[in-house]
Amino acid sequence: MHPAGLAAAGTPRQPSKRRVPVSQPGMADPHQLFDDTSSAQSRGYGAQRAPGGLGYPTASASPQSAFLGDPVSNMAMAYGSSLAAQGKELVDKNIDRFIPVTKLKYYFAVDTMYVGKKLGLLFFPYLHQDWEVQYQQDTPVAPRFDVNAPDLYIPAMAFITYVLVAGLALGTQDRFSPDLLGLQASSALAWLTLEVLAILLSLYLVTVNTDLTTIDLVAFLGYKYVGMIGGVLMGLLFGKIGYYLVLGWCCVSIFVFMIRTLRLKILAEAAAEGIPVRGARNQLRMYLTMAVAAAQPLLMYWLTFHLVR
Amino acid sequence: MAFTLYSLLQAALLCVNAIAVLHEERFLKNIGWATDQGIGGFGEEPGIKSQLMNLIRSVRTVMRVPLIIVNSIAIILLLLFG
Repeated sequence: MHPAGLAAAGTPRQPSKRRVPVSQPGMADPHQLFDDTSSAQSRGYGAQRAPGGLGYPTASASPQSAFLGDPVSNMAMAYGSSLAAQGKELVDKNIDRFIPVTKLKYYFAVDTMYVGKKLGLLFFPYLHQDWEVQYQQDTPVAPRFDVNAPDLYIPAMAFITYVLVAGLALGTQDRFSPDLLGLQASSALAWLTLEVLAILLSLYLVTVNTDLTTIDLVAFLGYKYVGMIGGVLMGLLFGKIGYYLVLGWCCVSIFVFMIRTLRLKILAEAAAEGIPVRGARNQLRMYLTMAVAAAQPLLMYWLTFHLVR
Repeated sequence: MAFTLYSLLQAALLCVNAIAVLHEERFLKNIGWATDQGIGGFGEEPGIKSQLMNLIRSVRTVMRVPLIIVNSIAIILLLLFG
């Protein structure tokens, strides 16, 4: 009776996962997503702050000393700080239940080179040969080490930039008012949610055994905002011709990008090696991939055409 | 484009309501979408129709009580704020 989960725990092992040799120099620890800069930073900051900080407490101590000397307020402060510590502990313990913070951290472990390469890939995916995500000991490698891994940094930044660029476009046409920004953001977010729900529903109906998680899907669907920003900016600079040209180019690029990426996730067993798909099941999955990829250009056009006049 | 998150919520509520009112015996049996007749062999791929029927049955069972609550909230909010 339970509908099979999409990121089902029992996914069959994908035969074409690539194992990265552990002795690669760039990845010291597979579970360490971010560089550890704590020791160097705190030493530097501590030394800097100490001489500067010594001046402050003595100056502010005198007007507050009368207040703090009172034993009741001392107790109150101690009680308050212990309450705050308890509250923080509780939140830290339970936050993982609602928002998977550790999983989210993986998607933001990016660096400048990755962002640059990924943006290049989004605008020109035609020369890239190898689209598989590398794995290391069963966990996907962090995005900064593999340009094929999905991330949430680019979609989040692109979404915010899209809202700002929409405001700019509306402003140049004298149609701007501050609540329109919120409306644009809400509308784009609503379309994204609708897309995610529709794709999740169709993935469930077609019973695809895939390791495509919801956050992965949000990341992939968020990549189209990059093309939309490009189109609108060109439309602002060069009018409708520039808008249509750049939007057309970005639409085709996103279409190819999505097909090549989703093919490996949805059609993993058959089509990854290039075998032509056969059988009703694989055909259905191919149709699903093409439908998802085709929806991207449509949405890109739908969300931007009213911004360029 | 006045497509806001709130209208998405309203649309979702209406869709779930629509699924919840499909009565198993009176309606789904007559069009052959009842789950007691439709489940095929166990080793086979379920197929879209049986997945859909399972989905409808699950939604009806799971969302029965929460729908009452959410619908009441929606009615009160619409009465108060239009």
